[in-house]
Amino acid sequence: MPELRRDPVIGRWVIISTERSKRPDQFASALVEKEELAPGERCPFCEGNEDMTLPEIYAIRRPGEPPNGPGWESRVIPSISPLLQIEGNLDRHGHGMYDLMNARGAHEIVVEAPRHIEEAELSREQVGRSVNVILDRIQDLEKDRDIKYVLVFKNYGKAAGGGHIRHARTQIIGTPVNLKRIKEELEGTKAYFDYKDRCVFCDMIKQELQAGKRVVAESKYFVALAAFASRFPFETWILPKEHSCDFYKVDRKKIPDFTELTMTVIAKMRKVIGNFPFNFILHTAPFRRDSGKRGYWETIESDYHWHFEILPMLTRVAGFEWGSGFYINPLPPEDACKAVRDAQVTI
Amino acid sequence: MNELIRDPITARWIIVPMDSSADTVHFATEIHSKNKDNCPFCYGSETMTPPEIVAHRKSGGANTPNWSVRVVPNKFPALRIEGEFERQGIGVFDMMSGVGAHEVIIDTPDHFRDMADLTHAEAEEVVWAYRARSLDLRKDKRFKYILIFKNYGRSAGASLEHPHSQLIALPIVPKRVHEEMEGAAKYYDYKERCVFCDIVREELEENERIIYNDDRFIAFCPYVSRFAYEVWILPKKHSSDFANIDRDCVACFAKALRDSLARIKGFLKDPAYNFIIHTSPINGHEREDYHWHVEIMPKLSKVAGFEWGSGFYVNPVLPYIAAKNLMSVAIPEK
Repeated sequence: MPELRRDPVIGRWVIISTERSKRPDQFASALVEKEELAPGERCPFCEGNEDMTLPEIYAIRRPGEPPNGPGWESRVIPSISPLLQIEGNLDRHGHGMYDLMNARGAHEIVVEAPRHIEEAELSREQVGRSVNVILDRIQDLEKDRDIKYVLVFKNYGKAAGGGHIRHARTQIIGTPVNLKRIKEELEGTKAYFDYKDRCVFCDMIKQELQAGKRVVAESKYFVALAAFASRFPFETWILPKEHSCDFYKVDRKKIPDFTELTMTVIAKMRKVIGNFPFNFILHTAPFRRDSGKRGYWETIESDYHWHFEILPMLTRVAGFEWGSGFYINPLPPEDACKAVRDAQVTI
Repeated sequence: MNELIRDPITARWIIVPMDSSADTVHFATEIHSKNKDNCPFCYGSETMTPPEIVAHRKSGGANTPNWSVRVVPNKFPALRIEGEFERQGIGVFDMMSGVGAHEVIIDTPDHFRDMADLTHAEAEEVVWAYRARSLDLRKDKRFKYILIFKNYGRSAGASLEHPHSQLIALPIVPKRVHEEMEGAAKYYDYKERCVFCDIVREELEENERIIYNDDRFIAFCPYVSRFAYEVWILPKKHSSDFANIDRDCVACFAKALRDSLARIKGFLKDPAYNFIIHTSPINGHEREDYHWHVEIMPKLSKVAGFEWGSGFYVNPVLPYIAAKNLMSVAIPEK
């Protein structure tokens, strides 16, 4: 019998379909394709090719090296085809029954290594540095009053919307409005908090650590869970054990612990499903600018809990999912969890 | 430079270019295998599917060839028709038993003709099957919503190539539908008009994005398209429930649907697509604030981290340009 499971935060239902189920090791089909750099094409993210990008916003360079040349470890540049732009103003207006505004915001790329390497080849030091750079960028964007939310994500592999150049990088987008997807979460956590006076994520972590069957890995400060209502096979969430709503205020001493856990989880997943395409997305609280606003802003610091979601793109989202917001997942998360947890890796 | 547009129904934001520079956006072409070996939906393979629920045929018995449209239970159903509907909770988590119906409507016996290639009369038969199944399943009191949709091409999630549509009857009203109903209800509360009726009026007035227009139906590339070449089809007369569609409307709707798909196929070189019939939950009466319609979404690019994380969409093609391009191709008359 298939089972319907409800995500306790946003109320999304997922069908865990036993009819279509496969063993965890049978999902390794959607491997990431080989890089397709055209003959003579240069990678704009490599050290030495700085002339191909817009002037850098931020970089960690060796002492004495001037900007926009070689000699860096991590480099942040504006996207060459930005979805949102830093110049101009919002200019909200209407068109008949519709509302519009200019696409004001920020769209930055964090290049995570000077050499042409992929995510899996990054060292622990490089990943840790990248997390710190992302935190620096969010703290800086917080000063821009027009930016309400900062979305941090990675698209890895074509099936996950990744580009054809396979140089390790993360994207940062600052948006002028609060995001629908985050609003849904905030409404869900607020409703739970109003009823129970507790954070739903904290309750979930407690329950999952006790039950154990969906705990993929655990470190001193963080835990990786196979989501109870996983939309996708091998969907995994990484959460801080201690309650906190803002990722950018994380204690930087905890970054090595976070880096190690995240790298271990992804390495374990690769051991089971190969070089899989995925999206890696930060969920964190919006910047709190409008004091006196009611609704989910009142208790946000107590009810919301930042986390990352790893969404492997091994199956295709079809008409049913688009039409219903229901997802069909052919792999019970408990089976995915067991396979990943038992994989032996060294990072 | 880009611009943000807000969908008046669901309040989601969409990023579109401000100028027509994206007139020449190129998309990867969908590859179709064009192989009918062992196809369970072709003539002669009737025993490869579970026994049929209903079929249109001129002669012969059930589960034999010579049908024109055939409805069968999905061999690998996402939900099962047998069993009681039960709810339970474990700590913070809620669960239900997976009761529901999952049917496949085989649009045509011809493996190589998708709905875009059918005649208007053939497409009409498919629509009649949608309607009949929808009316029959609503008699089962366990079901709250009936979703009819089509996945065409591998990128759109189709696992079998033979043209087919699907129907899923659900024990709850799905989240997306709920959101849409709420958005429409809010608009109605404020303006005492149906938001979809307003959209139709606005599209007719601006007359820039229409790709099909007759007495009863209109198809257009909506001002708030989430995807490049997205097309919506709406009945002009207000009605919240697809299953209440009458005889004359079935013919017009089939025409609007076939013609829209033929334009998409013609201009975009046979892309993968999904279409979904958005209709009101099963509750027996017509609603003033909701309007049934079809959304066709060509699958031209991949949904990436930004869309997943934000609920924002990025549409690289301005809808009026999409409409102009779709109107530039010739389609069969009948």
